[in-house]
Amino acid sequence: MAWEYYLVVMLIYLGTDLLAVWGLNLEFGVSGIANLAYIVVVAVGAYTYAVCTLGPSSDLGGFQQYIGGFGLPWGVALLIAVLVGALVGAVIGLTGLKRLRQDYQAVAMLVVSLMLATVVSADVGIFNGSAGLALIPNPFSDQDPEVARWLYVGLVAVCCVIGLLVLRRFTTGPLGRTLRAMRDDDTAASAAGKNVVGLRLLVQAVGGGFAGLSGALLAGFIGGWSPSAWVYIETLAFLSCIIVGGMGSDRGASLGTVIVAVLLLQGVQFLPQISGSPGLKEDFGWIVLGSATIAFIWFRPQGLLPERRPHHLDPDRPPASLRGLLRRQHPS
Amino acid sequence: MNLVVEAIGFGIATGAVIALGAVGFSVQFGISNILNITYGALMTLAAYVGYALVNRGVNAWLALVIGAIVVGVVSVAYNRVLLAPLVRRGTRAIAMVIVTVAAGIVLQYVIVAIAGPDSHSYGEQSGATLHLLGFTLSAGQVAIIGLTAAVMLALHLLLTRTTLGKAMRATSSNRTLARSCGIATDRVSDIAWLISGSLCGAAGVALAITTVSFDFSLGSLFLIPMIAAAVLGGIGQPYGAMVGGLIVGVSSEVAAAVTNPNYKDVVAFVILIAFLLIRPRGLFGAAWSTRRLMEG
Amino acid sequence: MTASTAAAPILEVDTLVKHYGGVRAVDGVSFTVARGSVTGLIGPNGAGKSTVLAVIGGYVGPTGGAIRFDGDDITSTPMYVRARRGLVRTFQMARVFGNLTTIENLLVAAPAQRGESGAAVLAGRRYWRNQEKELVAQARAMLDTFAMGAKADEPARNLSGGQKRAVEIMRALMMQPKLLLLDEPMAGLSPSLSRQLEDVLLGLAEGGLTLLLVEHELDTVDRICGKVVVMAQGRVLSEGRMAELRLNREVQDAYVIG
Repeated sequence: MAWEYYLVVMLIYLGTDLLAVWGLNLEFGVSGIANLAYIVVVAVGAYTYAVCTLGPSSDLGGFQQYIGGFGLPWGVALLIAVLVGALVGAVIGLTGLKRLRQDYQAVAMLVVSLMLATVVSADVGIFNGSAGLALIPNPFSDQDPEVARWLYVGLVAVCCVIGLLVLRRFTTGPLGRTLRAMRDDDTAASAAGKNVVGLRLLVQAVGGGFAGLSGALLAGFIGGWSPSAWVYIETLAFLSCIIVGGMGSDRGASLGTVIVAVLLLQGVQFLPQISGSPGLKEDFGWIVLGSATIAFIWFRPQGLLPERRPHHLDPDRPPASLRGLLRRQHPS
Repeated sequence: MNLVVEAIGFGIATGAVIALGAVGFSVQFGISNILNITYGALMTLAAYVGYALVNRGVNAWLALVIGAIVVGVVSVAYNRVLLAPLVRRGTRAIAMVIVTVAAGIVLQYVIVAIAGPDSHSYGEQSGATLHLLGFTLSAGQVAIIGLTAAVMLALHLLLTRTTLGKAMRATSSNRTLARSCGIATDRVSDIAWLISGSLCGAAGVALAITTVSFDFSLGSLFLIPMIAAAVLGGIGQPYGAMVGGLIVGVSSEVAAAVTNPNYKDVVAFVILIAFLLIRPRGLFGAAWSTRRLMEG
Repeated sequence: MTASTAAAPILEVDTLVKHYGGVRAVDGVSFTVARGSVTGLIGPNGAGKSTVLAVIGGYVGPTGGAIRFDGDDITSTPMYVRARRGLVRTFQMARVFGNLTTIENLLVAAPAQRGESGAAVLAGRRYWRNQEKELVAQARAMLDTFAMGAKADEPARNLSGGQKRAVEIMRALMMQPKLLLLDEPMAGLSPSLSRQLEDVLLGLAEGGLTLLLVEHELDTVDRICGKVVVMAQGRVLSEGRMAELRLNREVQDAYVIG
């Protein structure tokens, strides 16, 4: 049924977008690193998954060219995609080694994103150039397609749950507090004994792992991956989710993902078709997304669900309500 | 050998366009302290304005002038309406970059929505082939080199010989101090955005004239060599950006000639990253620009 | 007891040079800070005092010369390592972590937090909960000493200038420093607040903490500093007790003492 297929696609997009936005929120919202090359790491995850699961490119009679082609099981490939994503994330983080101004570092990362897209598109030998890779194996291809879809939704859901548990270890507690201090004033954080360069690399590695997983899951579902999937503006879409939802807030970033990535960017598909301009709906989506980002920075920079800080005032007061109980579960 | 000489000639022509853009970018950063990524989309806007004019039979060089003026005015308005008020509200530099990226995307997709996603061409504008000093260049390329040289000379005279130029340099190095010395920094800032926006527009049309065809991604791709040139020259410093443009242009074309044309931008990228990591103040960067680029 | 048998100074600044472009901001400065002392660094505007402090703190690297702290050469040690070893600084414009609450600003600075380690990422909350409880108690006690207990859960960006200054000093104290560098701690404070802060600093000094402060307000220097180093044009002009310096002709010329 068409609606069921559509629901599956939506859920999988939501899950993979959530993973990516969580990782970027750790980098940008929590730690203050505007990683404008984030989508590159998502792409790295997708390509890694592809060349790990695909067989050697000669097997298909030169239909597509790529490096690697290891024919590994999908679970191993997912794991490798996470690790390679973390590695590449940290390498991109090396632009922060010099104590450059934050906006300057952001522009350097933007240029990294533009550059790599140009190179990968132009050089057919790496990942089949601008045509991209196809026939990327789906983990559940031996199942009935109806069942395989829902199994994939389950896989994405499991990854999201694990991802959220890992994420909370970084965004809450003393570590999350230290990262937020670095975001608010990195000079004062170094003066307080925090190794800012090391923390940034750590954060970009962890964020990179999330990006790698997101890309790998997306590539495994779609079955293809090409440079048009990772233009630099895709990073802005993730940033927009965070800015609309609430920088530094995991709940906010998740809400922002539902609103921006799912309702807005997928919702434009339901606009009436305008004759003669097939791409106009997508163009409209990007215009709204860019404008919403600017409007939020202007009118509500804290986002819809702002970052909440824990209370330490009277530690022995019992929680008054269920809501209070939930808040106290939120570790300092 | 001949190939290399030819590439150097091409490189100077490419470098002239890069220098136009990079100088404008640098002037904008100097005066506003904002890294304006919308600059790329504004170049695209100029290319499409020029294209609309050329399509209606206007001479390409007149279209370049009109494109420059239009983007100059749009830049002033952009700064007045969006960027300056946000800075006054205390928006952090990192959020300002995101604003300029977002505004660039909005502008780029408005252009796509109006003009469509297809590639366009100004048609044959290069004119006769000339042999100068051992280089083989088209008349169009020579004209752009000449135009850039004239614009740079005019900018040099403006900055060094006029009161307005002194006010611009003063505002650029310390805005608060300049204001307390009685300089109308808002007016100076408007003029700087007009000039840098015009350079942006001129570079956009010049780029569209010299390339075979262009589409809406023209400006965003050009950001790589342009920012490389600006960083190489010490960002915020117009003279550095001129030399930076030439170096990036020539080295990209020579590298493309001796290796693979696909890797043209890689040279600019390597220059950019190397300078960022080793010498962020650029080749000629003074102490003040170092202080501005580093934290605190 | 002669000078040679006295305990080694906690900080030795040895012919420090710092150039900015072509400007010699600091031009061969040497002085020492004795353990347990309160040392003042004064001089007219542009004398290079703040630059010296920035180099000692590790915020900028020197062009030449050496710095020894607690027996070790720390000339090229990064700022955060110096801070961990007990060389802690505050800033001229008080810098707080604006989105964190006041008490979180203090907690961030606590050294060797279990909750920041890789083990905490693996083991989770139970690994750091007990230490965190102790730190919270310690931070709350310190807030009470500074009469800021009621502000504990207030975001630090909402605090007044004087309160931010206090937060910065409490944050420095949470780090259990051996030497506290203060860059114009009285700047922007009302006279009554400065007097309160002077009392706090004197109390810390009595408790054995070594202080080095750059200060513009000579009355403050007079009241709390033992040794005073006078700088002018990037060099050390003279050093001694404030009362002696007031009589020194050279110092008077460079720095019109009121």
